[in-house]
Amino acid sequence: MSAAQLASALGLGALVLYVLATGLYVLNLLRPSAWTGRLATVAAALGAVLNFAALYARAVALESVPYRDLLGSMKLFGFFLAALNVVLELRHRDRSLGPFLMPAALVFMLVALLETPVPRAPSPQFKGSIFALHVTLNMLSYAAFAVACALSLLYLLAGRALKHRGRALAGPASRLPTLAYLERATRTSLAVGVVTLLAGLSFGFFWAFRIWGPQNVRWGLDPKVWVAVATLVFYAAILVRARSGAAPVTTARLCVAGFLLILISYTAVNLLVTRLHSFT
Amino acid sequence: MNLLFIGWNHRATPVEVRERIAFTPEKAREALKHLFAERILTEGAIVATCNRSEIYGLSEREDAADAVATFLSSFHQVDGGVLRQTAVSGGGEETVRHLFRVASGLDSMVLGEAQILGQVREAYRLATETGAARVVTNRLFQSALECGKRVRNETTLGARPTSVPGIALLLVGRVFEELEGRRVLVVGAGETAELTAQLLVENGATDLRVCNRSEGRAAALAAAIGGRAVPWESLVTAAAESDLILSATGAPEPVITAKALAEARHRSRRRGPLLILDLAVPRDVEPAVDELSDVYRYDVDALNEVAAENAAARRAEVPKAEAIVEETVVKFRDWFGGLHHVDVVKALRGKLEGIRRQEVEAYRGKIAGLGPDAEKVVERLTDSIVSKILHHPTVGLKEGNASERLERADAVRALFRLDPPEKP
Repeated sequence: MSAAQLASALGLGALVLYVLATGLYVLNLLRPSAWTGRLATVAAALGAVLNFAALYARAVALESVPYRDLLGSMKLFGFFLAALNVVLELRHRDRSLGPFLMPAALVFMLVALLETPVPRAPSPQFKGSIFALHVTLNMLSYAAFAVACALSLLYLLAGRALKHRGRALAGPASRLPTLAYLERATRTSLAVGVVTLLAGLSFGFFWAFRIWGPQNVRWGLDPKVWVAVATLVFYAAILVRARSGAAPVTTARLCVAGFLLILISYTAVNLLVTRLHSFT
Repeated sequence: MNLLFIGWNHRATPVEVRERIAFTPEKAREALKHLFAERILTEGAIVATCNRSEIYGLSEREDAADAVATFLSSFHQVDGGVLRQTAVSGGGEETVRHLFRVASGLDSMVLGEAQILGQVREAYRLATETGAARVVTNRLFQSALECGKRVRNETTLGARPTSVPGIALLLVGRVFEELEGRRVLVVGAGETAELTAQLLVENGATDLRVCNRSEGRAAALAAAIGGRAVPWESLVTAAAESDLILSATGAPEPVITAKALAEARHRSRRRGPLLILDLAVPRDVEPAVDELSDVYRYDVDALNEVAAENAAARRAEVPKAEAIVEETVVKFRDWFGGLHHVDVVKALRGKLEGIRRQEVEAYRGKIAGLGPDAEKVVERLTDSIVSKILHHPTVGLKEGNASERLERADAVRALFRLDPPEKP
């Protein structure tokens, strides 16, 4: 079995586990039981492990970072979502994020599996740790913003249930985390996203300077760069507002809107507009 | 032999009688000792809560329930006629079902209340401690506790609170992970404000402020609950800076308006979720604050509405809980029925006879080689051994009082593994 085939097989295994985890998380939200919850966590964790192994096999097949194209980066994004879900769950002993994050991880993994990587010699510029850090940190920031979006949706749902009298005390809404926790966790996710995006962009700029030199800054005109900088400014502004006492409902709404911006940047901008970030 | 219960509870007995026959742990121990000494019961336990005093036990007397009532009449110095008139009693399976329903919260004044399971556990502990719990009481109470636990785990009978303070605390728990460090503003200094504030303190509230028109009363309540008083003029500012507002004044008009709160929150840097529990009638907080983002207001009507919804949800769970009770009753009945000495002797004989036949069959070839009559002799010999082995257990199972007989029967069933293995 070639490394490319192994990557596909491992990816398929991860996908199956993500499907299982999603089903179990939703079931656990509707009809909670200790075993359903535990099985959901185990499926998500094993899925993340297989996802990581698939990325590694893909890296071997491509002889490069495994996520320099759209589908590879989707696989990485799926991995980050599943891994963050498990980490947050173990940290806070709360499974309410699973029904929101795992379907997203599942969709990304499903799309990523549509292709089989074809081994080809990578361009020398895509080798090296600076480029790898640039892409990895940017993807991690997107995953953190996805978590902030999921937490914000939960905040809006929980708040809505509380406004409707007893609805917050019965049914699935009663199993959501507290508003105070959701608000705090959203701010933390925002902070992680802003810091990693800033670091990822810095590594990107550094890498571009090294490749093209200071005299050639045309890469700075690439739409993806501008969209990424705008995303950073937008999220940094939300974070500053949230930390200085903005209404949590407004922060939650902005986080949901911000994630739509990321999805557009990740898909439409990468596929249709940009040249330098067009997923070679 | 009679498995019985007799009790006085909130359904049939007025509180004036219930309070006179209430049992403290010491009184329950003493009563149990007397009930055995006077041979009214051979074993048993007393379940004592604020709503019930019930005696469960095994007796050899046909008039055991009446004898217990007579005893309690002199023990508690209460008129025997009144006790007999207001008692609830039953025998056999009724006893089992009644205790299982009690342990499950199905017989409680507040349907599905949680404390009763602990009280049944306490009754069992006390009976074990005094030596009053023997084989039947052990199995009866262990089954009752198992039944109560199953009802709690497999139904939502007790999951949703039905009292206003319980709902208020649950709401607090939906907004904040813990009350410690959360700023709580108590508006008003009357009894309702004080009792609810105390409840919040018991549940971890540490940062409390009290605001009342009369500063003296505010200071007194603040001192009582470990908070600090806030001048009435600063009410809205204090409200905007709080995480939780508990309001219960006697004001005829709202003391916190939506406009004032919105402006104060705009000025304040504290913008997290604000939960308002307005326990006053007329309401202290203008309903229009519902329009403000991150503000969650619950007035008395809303809390009562939730209480009614929760009570209805509990009632809907009753059939499920009753099914669990019936399942446990059947299990107990099967066990208890198997302790009848005729059944035990029959089962024991069957078991030994089976072993005898098996062994004779295994050696049949060798026995045949010993001569033409050997087979008959071996049959007679082994049959006689089995009968002799069975003689003492058969006699022993009929000796002693009811509890002693049942203890032996239970031991024989367990030692000789006379029961089929339980299905998982």
